[in-house]
Amino acid sequence: METNLVIEGLKFMGLGMVTVFLFLTILIFLMTLMSKILHKFFPEVQPNASSSSKNTQNNKKIVAAITAAIKHHRES
Amino acid sequence: MKFIIIKLLTLMMLLSATAIHASTSSNAASSEDSTHKEETYQTQSFFDMIDGFLKSTGINALVNPNPNEMNSHGEAMSDFHKSWGRVIMILITFLLFYLAIAKGFEPLLLLPIGFGGLLANIPIANMAGPDGFLGIIYSMGLANQLFPILIFMGVGAMTDFGPLLSNPKTALLGGAAQFGIFGTLVGAVALAEYTSIFDFTLQQASAISIIGGADGPTSIFISTQLAPELLGAIAVASYSYMAMVPIIQPPIMRALTTDAERRIKMSTMRHVSRLEKLIFPIMVLVLAILALPEATPLIGAFMFGNFLKESGVVDRLSDTMQNALINIVTIFLGLAVGSKLAADQFLVADTLAILALGIVAFSVGTAAGIIMAKIMNLFPGSKVNPLIGSAGVSAVPMAARVSNKVGMEYDRSNMLLMHAMGPNVAGVIGSAVAAGILISLFK
Repeated sequence: METNLVIEGLKFMGLGMVTVFLFLTILIFLMTLMSKILHKFFPEVQPNASSSSKNTQNNKKIVAAITAAIKHHRES
Repeated sequence: MKFIIIKLLTLMMLLSATAIHASTSSNAASSEDSTHKEETYQTQSFFDMIDGFLKSTGINALVNPNPNEMNSHGEAMSDFHKSWGRVIMILITFLLFYLAIAKGFEPLLLLPIGFGGLLANIPIANMAGPDGFLGIIYSMGLANQLFPILIFMGVGAMTDFGPLLSNPKTALLGGAAQFGIFGTLVGAVALAEYTSIFDFTLQQASAISIIGGADGPTSIFISTQLAPELLGAIAVASYSYMAMVPIIQPPIMRALTTDAERRIKMSTMRHVSRLEKLIFPIMVLVLAILALPEATPLIGAFMFGNFLKESGVVDRLSDTMQNALINIVTIFLGLAVGSKLAADQFLVADTLAILALGIVAFSVGTAAGIIMAKIMNLFPGSKVNPLIGSAGVSAVPMAARVSNKVGMEYDRSNMLLMHAMGPNVAGVIGSAVAAGILISLFK
């Protein structure tokens, strides 16, 4: 019996699409799981927070220096 | 006088002795021919010399094809493929140059491919043959799938999985776009089954359908395994459609979406930690090992590149992969693919069918991604802008840019680029998985 290529093609399509979706669905599940675990056990130290506090400290110093300079300028 | 000439001849013979010994029978024939000419050199009149020279010109070879000339596989070629076919192919390579330089279509690939094609169609020189430099490059890296794998490494080192990790469900869009691959597979076998012109086997149909994944390296990887005789046409179709993403996709995207859908704003992305990015490549690879070892050459190389990049401790290596390595391999890959643009292999009816099926594959993939996004919007949860669905075809990062551009046309403030990168990189994984399935089915 001659095989019908179209039916073979449809079989390929069924298997292929199911596998691709299954693979990606498992991947989505794993990605979500991983991010939950990581957030629970390895909370990332926020580099932004520390640097911004440093920045505000710096800013305070700068503001203090500027006010001092202005005061000095006015007084002289 | 005679004595000096004989002395010179012996010297030359000695010098070329090793080459003659090592050469194939065809080369041996030509060297015999040349020694014959040298022996009768003195009796040759000036007019005979001119005549002999004219016979060795390219014009003569094109106008009066040599009946004994073989193609790069050592098979006989028709006169058309030796004469006008070559002229047509050279004109086609000029068209590729035009598209690459004036229109900016993937110039990085179309120029090497086009020039390789130009060189491969030169008569007499036989550069695409097994001893020509194009043939050597081909057998060095394309026949054994080395180049596509190396390209995948570089692409991996350039890819940022952050957008995908921050919104994992967009991976489904990259899966849906693979429908283009399998839909075209059915289309190709239907053409073979119900028309008498085309006679594609299942292997050939599978190789053609991968064009729908819009992923050049994967297409080459598959076609060298399943249908090496179609490699030239498949690679050219694949890369030219990747280049034409900005032309092919927008009409399909507009046709399938409503104005309100195109204006959907997606929620801002969460921050993805470095550890997540570092674990992700290993996770995908482990999943591929467990489910689909056939896909691991592609996915493995891809994740290797990405892992080196995300590790952050081998910047030199990741920098080489992203730049030097991928550039070198691109040159070789382009020339090797171009060598398959020889007239006798490209100017056949199958090529037209491949080009037509390729664009169908690509359009179906685009449409499937968009429809998937619309289906996802039927479920509760944060809404997805269907325009990013089209980015599920891999063509990184062009497809994502197109999503962004079309989105901006309707709402200037709607930046979709990073959202579209998620399905885009998922599309690369998806088409590698699809490729693995196709290969495993024929094992």
